[in-house]
Amino acid sequence: MWGQPMSAYDAFNAHASFPLPMRSAPKAQPVSHTQQPVVTGTSVLGLKFKGGVMLAADNLASYGSLARFRDIQRLHPLGSHCVMAVAGDMADFQWLKRDLGSILREEEALSLTDNHPSLSAANIYNYLSIIFYNRRSKGDPVWNTVLVGGWDEAKKESFLGYVDLLGTTYSSPTLATGYGAHIAQPLLREAFEAKAGLDGKGELPTAEEAEKLLDDCMKVLFYRDARSLNKYQIATITAEGVKISDSKSAKTEWGFAEGLRGYGAQDR
Amino acid sequence: MSSIGTGYDLDVSTYSPDGRLFQIEYANKAVEAAGVAIGLRCSDGVVLAVERMLHSRLLVKGANRRIQSLDDHIGMASAGLLADAKNLGNRGRDEVHNYRDSYDSPITVQILSDRMSGYVQAHTCYGSSRPFGISTLLAGVDNTGPRLFCIEPSGVYYGYHGAAVGKGKALAKTELEKVLAKEGGVTCREGVMEVARIIHLVHDDNKDKEFELEMTWVCAESGGKHKAVPEDLLKEAEAAARAALEEGMEED
Amino acid sequence: MTNINSVDIKHLKNGEVNLGTSIMAVKFEGGVVIGADSRTTTGAYIANRVTDKLTHIHDRVYCCRSGSAADTQAVADIVHQHCQIYSSLYGTPPPVATVTSMFEKLCYTNKDQLSAGIIVAGWDAEAGGSVYNIPLGGGMFQQPWAIGGSGSTYVYGYCDATYQDGWNEEETVQFVKNTLALAMSRDGSSGGCIRMCVITKDKVQRHFIPGNELPRFWEGKEVVGAVAGVTA
Repeated sequence: MWGQPMSAYDAFNAHASFPLPMRSAPKAQPVSHTQQPVVTGTSVLGLKFKGGVMLAADNLASYGSLARFRDIQRLHPLGSHCVMAVAGDMADFQWLKRDLGSILREEEALSLTDNHPSLSAANIYNYLSIIFYNRRSKGDPVWNTVLVGGWDEAKKESFLGYVDLLGTTYSSPTLATGYGAHIAQPLLREAFEAKAGLDGKGELPTAEEAEKLLDDCMKVLFYRDARSLNKYQIATITAEGVKISDSKSAKTEWGFAEGLRGYGAQDR
Repeated sequence: MSSIGTGYDLDVSTYSPDGRLFQIEYANKAVEAAGVAIGLRCSDGVVLAVERMLHSRLLVKGANRRIQSLDDHIGMASAGLLADAKNLGNRGRDEVHNYRDSYDSPITVQILSDRMSGYVQAHTCYGSSRPFGISTLLAGVDNTGPRLFCIEPSGVYYGYHGAAVGKGKALAKTELEKVLAKEGGVTCREGVMEVARIIHLVHDDNKDKEFELEMTWVCAESGGKHKAVPEDLLKEAEAAARAALEEGMEED
Repeated sequence: MTNINSVDIKHLKNGEVNLGTSIMAVKFEGGVVIGADSRTTTGAYIANRVTDKLTHIHDRVYCCRSGSAADTQAVADIVHQHCQIYSSLYGTPPPVATVTSMFEKLCYTNKDQLSAGIIVAGWDAEAGGSVYNIPLGGGMFQQPWAIGGSGSTYVYGYCDATYQDGWNEEETVQFVKNTLALAMSRDGSSGGCIRMCVITKDKVQRHFIPGNELPRFWEGKEVVGAVAGVTA
């Protein structure tokens, strides 16, 4: 016990080396894995527009409810025409960055000799879904939800896909994860469908409209998500390549609340 | 080569009585028969070039390249058996990958040369294998600056300011010495012109087959990455090389 | 082992509205300054971003509530009623100490049913400004300054290092404002605006700091973007 003097026996047997422990035949133990995320990022958003696709994510990495790291970039470029936006465990996100980085580097190196095209966003997305599904099948999921946005140079069209820790995949011209799926997705769809129609075959929103829409969504998420931060970035992927913005803040409105008093009848 | 093996050349793991390993010397012969490969360490980066002989008119233009990328910032040019070069290149990419896995930072050209040379040397130790029939130029820019190394079939490697391997290497080296004697060294752009000129100079139009000039570099202009020298610059360098060659002939 | 994502208050019922909260009260010569953030959450969802957590109990006594919104509202309502009865019975406003003892009785006797951390503060003729803290178990502690709620854990060091006796009203308001802003920037369960109240013999004066005008401190490095194009 701490704070108690050691017995003479303990003092001379600090490593419990005597009597010799009885060794039983090793039993097969179940392997245990990380069962919950620790340092986490909240929702990410994605939206197609005329000539490309945009992703948005704030700069916060939370530790439970503690706003622990307030300068973390959760948008990661993959090659020249692809970006992933990552929610969930930040350690797994860093592992994903290393893993994809080494694959892209090797592909790039080999392409000098055999001239093969570089991995498209769709290729990377497919690879991610395989990783996620295999890891969840091992009972050791990669604890992330990822949006992949890209520009397909061969097809001359944008790409936007969702993949999560179960290996679930789907694609849509507007996507959002976590709280964003509840709060931002309806706003994104409303604006997107107003322009492009229910079938999405009409004119897509312009880059300016898309950015404004994401700004609005990030603002509402900041209003309503207790794990969010009013400091975020937007990635834009077009035929020109990838652009990730400096961090920025949404203009928020609070003035209306000044005269509010109490929770019921109180008026002072 | 002053003598042939007389029975001591059947096996790489057997020395001759005067302490030579004939298989390694024969491997060097394979290197000397190949088109020249040149590496130049410039003030702001490195340049690699090879004279790629076209042994058939049926070959696809620009295919079967002899310069490989090992990492973002490191390239490898080789002279000798192309299949051996491909194998060594794969090993190099493995080493690059392992290093980054372990240390989360890019490998230096020096350390990569050391590791790859160990692999080459291991092929000189066992009767079950033959030495690599290639000399390899490793060039790149890392956090220590522009670096250039050459690994020989024996597994020995040295660092260079300028290096040439393959057919006509002696003449190429003399020319490189002249280039490097310039005050303050040369920039990569100048290096590209010089190296292109040297390769054309070394190439023997009468004896040799036709060739394609293959060139890569690592410098600020390539974003610190190992990239093929841009098409227009390569054309410009080749045109200048041919012009210089003709001028030289008139003087003679 | 407790899950770090769950609020560690045993009695908070599943899905219940929680005042994650940063609250505070500081005494100064002649009065008190109380303050609170304005965030109310259910889990990570912000149910109300402009909550008023400064609750009027009597003319010169307010409380700051943390824990379950339902529990603390019920307790405050009961004490409010007791105070009205007290003042009409005795013809004088109840002293802060008396009001606090009413809170204490409810919180202590019902500790198994409640999750309520309450700071009571106000002015009375006997004691001048005073601050009392009633944390989770129902204990009662008089302090020159008190902080409470989930956000407070992040600013104990700041308060210890900064607080000094003998501040005037203005200095005290500044201290409350800065402390709450620091707590709100670190605690996901706190946020929104800052509401403050200065309670003295002569006045109960409200201060309101909108969420986009909070004092700002170190927030990590500026995150700058990047370009990766066809040329790279």
